[in-house]
Amino acid sequence: MSKISWLLFTFLLFTAPAVAVENYTVSGYVKDSTSGELLIGSTVYVQELGIGTQTNVYGFYSLTIPAGNYTLEYRYLGYVSRIIRINLMKNEQINVDLVPEELKLEEIVITSSRGDRNITDVEMSAQELDIRTIRKIPSFLGEVDVIKSIQLLPGVSTVGEGASGFNVRGGSVGQNLILLDEAPVYNSSHMLGFFSVFNPDAVKDIKLYKGAVPARYGGRIASILDIRMKDGNNKKFGVDGGIGTVFSRLAVEGPIVKDKGSFILAGRRSYIDVLARPFTSFFDNGAALNFHDLTLKTNYRFNQNNALYLSGYFGRDKFLFDREQGFSWGNKTATLRWNHLFGDRVFSNFTFFISDYDYELKFGDTERDKFHWESRIRTMDLKPEFTYSINASNELIFGGDLLYYKFRPADATGVSNGTPINVSLEEKFAFESALYIGNETKFSKAISARYGLRLSNFQSLGPGYVYEWETTVPGQRKRLISSRRVEKFEKIASYTNLEPRASLRVKIGNKMSVKASYNRMAQYLHLISNTTASNPLDVWRPGTNNLKPQRGDQFALGIFRNFGQMDDYEFSLEGYYRTTDNQVEYIDGAEIFINEYLEADLLSGIGRAMGLEFYLKKNTGKLNGWISYTVGKTELKVEGINNGEWYPTRFDQRHNLKIVGYYNLNDRWTFSANFTFLSGTPTTFPTDRFTQQGYLIPYNAYGSRNNVRIANFHRLDISAIFYGKKYRRNGKARKNRDYWIFGFYNVYARRNPFSIYFSQGEDRPAAGEPVPSFATQVSIIGTIVPAISYNFKF
Amino acid sequence: MKKNSTLVIGFFIIIAFFSCEDQIAVDLPESEPVVVIDAWINNKPETQVIKVMKTLPYFDQEFLPGVNDAIVRVEDMTQQPIIFEFKKGEGDGIYEWEPWWNQPHFGIIGHDYKLTVQIGETVYEAYSSMGRVPPVDSLTFRFEKGNNFIADSYIAGFYANDPPGIGDTYWIKTWKNGLFLNKPSEINISWDAGGSPGAVVDGVSFIRSVRDMINPFDKDEEGKYMSPYAPGDSIRVEIHSITNEAYTFLYQTLIQTNRPGGFAELFAQPLANVISNIQLVAGAENSAKAIGFFNVSAVSDMEGWLDPDKLPPKE
Repeated sequence: MSKISWLLFTFLLFTAPAVAVENYTVSGYVKDSTSGELLIGSTVYVQELGIGTQTNVYGFYSLTIPAGNYTLEYRYLGYVSRIIRINLMKNEQINVDLVPEELKLEEIVITSSRGDRNITDVEMSAQELDIRTIRKIPSFLGEVDVIKSIQLLPGVSTVGEGASGFNVRGGSVGQNLILLDEAPVYNSSHMLGFFSVFNPDAVKDIKLYKGAVPARYGGRIASILDIRMKDGNNKKFGVDGGIGTVFSRLAVEGPIVKDKGSFILAGRRSYIDVLARPFTSFFDNGAALNFHDLTLKTNYRFNQNNALYLSGYFGRDKFLFDREQGFSWGNKTATLRWNHLFGDRVFSNFTFFISDYDYELKFGDTERDKFHWESRIRTMDLKPEFTYSINASNELIFGGDLLYYKFRPADATGVSNGTPINVSLEEKFAFESALYIGNETKFSKAISARYGLRLSNFQSLGPGYVYEWETTVPGQRKRLISSRRVEKFEKIASYTNLEPRASLRVKIGNKMSVKASYNRMAQYLHLISNTTASNPLDVWRPGTNNLKPQRGDQFALGIFRNFGQMDDYEFSLEGYYRTTDNQVEYIDGAEIFINEYLEADLLSGIGRAMGLEFYLKKNTGKLNGWISYTVGKTELKVEGINNGEWYPTRFDQRHNLKIVGYYNLNDRWTFSANFTFLSGTPTTFPTDRFTQQGYLIPYNAYGSRNNVRIANFHRLDISAIFYGKKYRRNGKARKNRDYWIFGFYNVYARRNPFSIYFSQGEDRPAAGEPVPSFATQVSIIGTIVPAISYNFKF
Repeated sequence: MKKNSTLVIGFFIIIAFFSCEDQIAVDLPESEPVVVIDAWINNKPETQVIKVMKTLPYFDQEFLPGVNDAIVRVEDMTQQPIIFEFKKGEGDGIYEWEPWWNQPHFGIIGHDYKLTVQIGETVYEAYSSMGRVPPVDSLTFRFEKGNNFIADSYIAGFYANDPPGIGDTYWIKTWKNGLFLNKPSEINISWDAGGSPGAVVDGVSFIRSVRDMINPFDKDEEGKYMSPYAPGDSIRVEIHSITNEAYTFLYQTLIQTNRPGGFAELFAQPLANVISNIQLVAGAENSAKAIGFFNVSAVSDMEGWLDPDKLPPKE
């Protein structure tokens, strides 16, 4: 640990407000009463002191407060609040089960605020979506989708339908860290970008950090998407499933040992190929067109102080022309975690994970001519973390992170007319490590701050060559000056970054707060992609002496205000400004696949993004939903592109409006709708035409990039959920629950543009005539798409 | 490896049921015309043509206007003072060099050449060298059973061996029944035996994707791909040695002009200017740069025709 970190550590301990002598700790777990699922982020509020805390991602809370009589209130959205009175004279462990609201018995009426966490919490620029809300949002082809739902939140956008990933506050797709039970998922999409790899049946909670990122996270500069899987019902067995237009899902969960251990196993498979098989011979010789995924999690709680979690994900997309030829890709992750309590005040977690992403391409139907190409990135990580509840005003969190990466950019071999060929690139290795410390201090009822520091280091290791390049003409392939051989595990480059994080909250009255934050993030892995949308072939590359770490600095300021007695309306207005450096761009005609000299084709520049996010959410009543509006701008400045001037990125959208509403008509019907409006994304138009050897080539006389915008995007989706009867004719409750989802995507069948391209058309140019020229607008989903799915639970 | 991704993209196009395309009218920014030089010459014993033109607004569906008062010449830099004067020929902006008994064809393999184009006070220059070219060893056809998307097909292939030594670049041009396969998607270039500058496949037979790129894949009225060749069709394949810079130019041309549309747009690269090798060396202060390319090729070729009775046996 560096001197600075030690200094900070001591600083934190000494600035903590004077500790009263007779402090005791009340701690425990908050769970769902029906399934035993640990509830993440439920509020524990001490009414007498006007302070509170939240359960962590393992459902654990710990509050250290002076001895006395207290009224503790446990709250979680969608659950009935519980009030527990205690006489705190010693350390107490209180585990609380909360009852889901839909099971609320009529006679129990508890009036309490639904949770004003958005006001009281220091956290800003973070967004949570619980899976029950996600399930109500109309989605493409009726499939509930985590990533698509996130795109309805302020500050989040995408370049268009079908594109993988998402963009946060002007960041690129490769600047988001997507974690599934703490393991990074390198490609979050099935079937390009149409579906995400996360099975909603196995997802418990998702949280997106757009800014004010806590010190415990690092490695990407735009956002962290933290997805937590369900633990599985530890009280009784259950089956969840669905039959949809594109795929079917099935999830089984249940106790291993009642109240102590449980498991969940969830799978999905698409079946376009199964349905098409009777109508075509296409699939007879081994062709495949499908994806599947399997999610497994199991946990066991040995006692109050120890719990073990094991979770895994396996998914694959397959596009095969026949047995020998085609394309497939997939993620695999496995996470092992051990929660341990040191006394009542120190919660610790040790995580070990392996994450693996690979793709494979193979061509050639004979032994004399074939080609096989595989690319892989493997990550292993050991991550200890400690949370120390010092007193009522301070909660210290510290830990470390040791990541090991193994890159296989291309394992590419083949046979050409009987002669073997090999264009494989050498494996690369890297270590990324971090130490972090953060504290949350409640200075007074009104003022709270969270501050921390992350010290990260990256070691890029051989085998391979260390190249030195020289720019001859900016924007064109660089020239090699020298190369030096390094052996396995010898250093290619090493980088260290100090990443400060801080946020401050000032509460004004009970219903309003103002928050400000700053964070610096460093990123050592780079997603190499020069196409409009990110795609599964994109390669992650480690930083080198030439590929320097990306850094992002973000400032954010926000006002948070709730309205109504029950906090019926939540409102927030946040502004952000972000600057970045070492942003990766590409020369025109860059060869990004299987290229030993990739660095010669990469350019580096700086970026800036700013925006204002408006969010209004209605929590209560029959009509729920939100309005999210972002006005934003994101630009890059790269020597060699756009004459070295600032230009908008491909995903720069000035206006981004989303309206989501769902209406619970009665026990049987829920209707929902969402509307999306996005400003047209920038693109480059030519000015002139010229010919070379008969080919018509577009030419931009000004050498500009993204100089015009395509038409605006807007779309309305609607859906209806029809729940099966809850009771039998004889009045008994049915054991099985089921529901239908009917939906229409793009209701008014707008042909929203994805891009406009310029070409000489599809026809063969006729001799003796000038070559024609066309502008063509592409709509990925240019029509209304109906959907129906049947879902069940028993 | 672009050829493989093209195949993959093609596959996605098949599954694109919901996407659609519209031809639209767009307003483009205006600009001043610039000089275009189209100078791809070779050692075939025939008239060599260099065109000097000016750009037009992108949507003007006309031939580019020629520049007819230029002085065009190519110099052999290896064996001076050989100068090839390109004289103003018939047609707008066309300059020609005719072979003669003492010079039955243009240039010598291994020599470097300089192009000079002078328009009034303005002088443009460009350099190229004539690289080596391997002979075409054979031309074959094979028969492949069709499916829902493609008819029963006769697929042509050519065999040639890239000579050992890294950095040979080629443009393979194909004629079917005397007509040049001139769609942008049919631009067939090869870095050594078919890799790329950063992943070299050297000194072996051209890889399958290069050998198979001599087939025209056109659709019938129902949108089904037709057989590239029919019995009796003739085929002519030429391998042109090109410079590494010319390879990059054609690779960029391929990216900029071969736009299959639909889902492939997800993987499209931004519109950008292909890099010219024409330098502005003298002229008035406001002289504009020129665009286009100068390349000198050595050519090998082979001709054949499809006789279904003479297909090689299946492996």
